[in-house]
Amino acid sequence: MKMATTSKSKRTRKSSTPAYVPPKKLPISFTVNGQEVTAEAPAHTSLLYLLRDLGFTEVKNGCEAGDCGACTILLDGLAMNACCALGVQAEGREITTVKGIGTVDNLHPIQVKFIEHGAIQCGFCTPGMIVAAKELLDINPNPSRHEIKAGIAGNLCRCTGYVKIIDAIEAAAEDLSSKKGKRK
Amino acid sequence: MRGFDFVAPTTISATLKAAKGRNTKFIAGGTNFLPDLRHQHDGPAKVVIDLMRVSALQGISSSKGQIKLGALATMTDFLTNKIILKEAPILAAMSEKFAGPIIRNRATVAGNIIDGGPAADAVPPLLALKAKVRLASEKGRRTVDLDKFLTGYRQTAIRSDELITAVTFPSPGRNHKWGYYKLARRNAMAITVVGVAVVLKVRRKKVEEAGISLGSVTAAPIRCYEAEKILEGNVVDLELAQKAAEACAAVATPIDDIRASAEYRKLMCEVLPRRLICQALDISQDND
Repeated sequence: MKMATTSKSKRTRKSSTPAYVPPKKLPISFTVNGQEVTAEAPAHTSLLYLLRDLGFTEVKNGCEAGDCGACTILLDGLAMNACCALGVQAEGREITTVKGIGTVDNLHPIQVKFIEHGAIQCGFCTPGMIVAAKELLDINPNPSRHEIKAGIAGNLCRCTGYVKIIDAIEAAAEDLSSKKGKRK
Repeated sequence: MRGFDFVAPTTISATLKAAKGRNTKFIAGGTNFLPDLRHQHDGPAKVVIDLMRVSALQGISSSKGQIKLGALATMTDFLTNKIILKEAPILAAMSEKFAGPIIRNRATVAGNIIDGGPAADAVPPLLALKAKVRLASEKGRRTVDLDKFLTGYRQTAIRSDELITAVTFPSPGRNHKWGYYKLARRNAMAITVVGVAVVLKVRRKKVEEAGISLGSVTAAPIRCYEAEKILEGNVVDLELAQKAAEACAAVATPIDDIRASAEYRKLMCEVLPRRLICQALDISQDND
């Protein structure tokens, strides 16, 4: 697998340091959205780069410091920043990206409400935002507006001003709990 | 730091064996590790040891009045664990203000301590709870008081082959009083301007034992011993709370930075402890 980083730093080296040796690649296997994936990558590759290089580009690269939440995924059901783990740490784990929550042909209610409420402008924060919203509603199916704000506190949106996103999550919560009620 | 080896042991003994005599770094939740990795191009580590699969480092337990936080206990655990909510709710109050929910899912208590930052939010409440750090290496185990473990700006008393296995503290008792405040510029994802933690054991209106600490105003979070002494053994009124608050401000040596001025921080080191002590003990404050 190729590294997406601009590696091979060309900084001048002292003559005493040995020549550049490309880092050893390690085998990694895990599942993404139910699909088994195997890869090879150096140990320093972040889970974010690993996923994106494998084609899961719905996981966005925003800040690479855990600040923006654009790379939010579920790891064994728990929301986390893909930029804050090494790819090798995902060995044997189950990863869910936004595409595992719903696809274009089969949208999840959260995604439907994001569209209905215009909670998407440039769309860059949306994959992370929807994954964070999914975890929030899994834990707390009927959150208050304050709880929604706290639930997406780790996800930055620079377009919408959040109001429409909060509206959408509120509506999705209502939608999901009414559907659950019908099933019973 | 590039081209390191990676191992993911499942037991403490295998972890210590892997760490022995080699240039190693530990990784757990990675919320500090990965940003550091990105910004420091050529770190020294040859081997990175993943702790996330060591089950003995996980979990929160309580026995004989001692509460034990596994090194891998996360901030989310503090918000949901029944022992914490019952025995040390100050940790849940802290966690609520700690970064954001996604970071809290991964950020561990040992990671927050070992990073050694002055603004490490988990540290002031643990100092006020008089926590101890349990360390292990192939040579043996030892326990160090948290306030002695933190030796300076991003410096701790850990030795190169040692691992934090747990953080322990005595349960402050069901009827203890406490207060926590994180002064910051936002409600989430903010670096603390001033952090204050107060834990008071009260019996017949007298403060029997006090733990007061400050974060973000010294090189590493500190306990305010003088302020604790002022309160201990007394029925506290507004005047005494004020005296203790002044003792808190006296040990603060804050700096100017983009988040706040040193002057403002110093002032808050008096206002916030007084407010928290008064709120905890139900003392009315006239002009606050």
